[in-house]
Amino acid sequence: MAQVQITIEDLAGAAEGKTIKLVHLVGQLDESNVDEEAKKIYQLIESVPQGLNLIFNLEGLEYMNSKSIGYMTDWYSKVSGSGGKIVIAAARENILDILQVVGLTQLVTAYATLEEAKLAVNQ
Amino acid sequence: MEEEKIQNTEKPLEITVTIPTQAYFLSGIRDFILNFTKNVTGFSDQWAFRFQAVVDELCNNAIEHGSAAGQTIEIVVAYTPSKYLEVFVKDNGSGTSKMTAKQMTDLFKERVHMTSGEYLGFRGRGLPKIVGEWTDEVVFEDKEGGGLVVRAKKYLRKEDEEVSSLVNDPTHLILK
Repeated sequence: MAQVQITIEDLAGAAEGKTIKLVHLVGQLDESNVDEEAKKIYQLIESVPQGLNLIFNLEGLEYMNSKSIGYMTDWYSKVSGSGGKIVIAAARENILDILQVVGLTQLVTAYATLEEAKLAVNQ
Repeated sequence: MEEEKIQNTEKPLEITVTIPTQAYFLSGIRDFILNFTKNVTGFSDQWAFRFQAVVDELCNNAIEHGSAAGQTIEIVVAYTPSKYLEVFVKDNGSGTSKMTAKQMTDLFKERVHMTSGEYLGFRGRGLPKIVGEWTDEVVFEDKEGGGLVVRAKKYLRKEDEEVSSLVNDPTHLILK
């Protein structure tokens, strides 16, 4: 079974009035674990009904399947629909490749580094 | 040494794996496909990752729709040196949401011609966007005795090796 760890933390130094969460994904998201793991993100989204900003740090993500991308699209819809923003940071080439081929990078901005993503979201 | 022998032969190399219909086993299949493509074929690392995703999506579909719980699916990977890499994913038609080859072909054609902007739904990206765009041929065939075989083929071409991950139109799709 594929293993994945999802950890969520507040962004230190977030501008006043901004809710910015860092979501670190490490391992592989696939059919065997994505339904269960996705619940953590839905809980996070529900806990901040308005203006949530999410930075997905994908530096440690080795694999994601199309269903994982489907979830990410759904999170994007929910968050952007309530005045928030989702960005991706530090994705490996194979992850960026798959996000591009399904068109997700047309919706969600992908930054090369976590620092760039933090700066962009915290403006 | 063994790897070198495999690379030098002109004979097609075929490996068959049968797994239970449990997603638990897919990470092992992905590891195998990635290593096989990287180490045995002439494809680049980028295409090895792409082919890994293609096989994973086909297996997901076969497990979800084609073969029932407690049954199996079969994965055949075939490499013809200097020519192409193929995968055949076979279910046994016992799944509750199984489809015929014609139904799958029609669905695939319909989705492949949708633009990215229409893919805002939760599901439905794997077959048209990953399998469709990262292979050259996708063919659905009904199996004698029930079930479906999906064959996806990728030709080894120099121009594909020069494709950057940032290019939006990575391959050509030929649907037969």
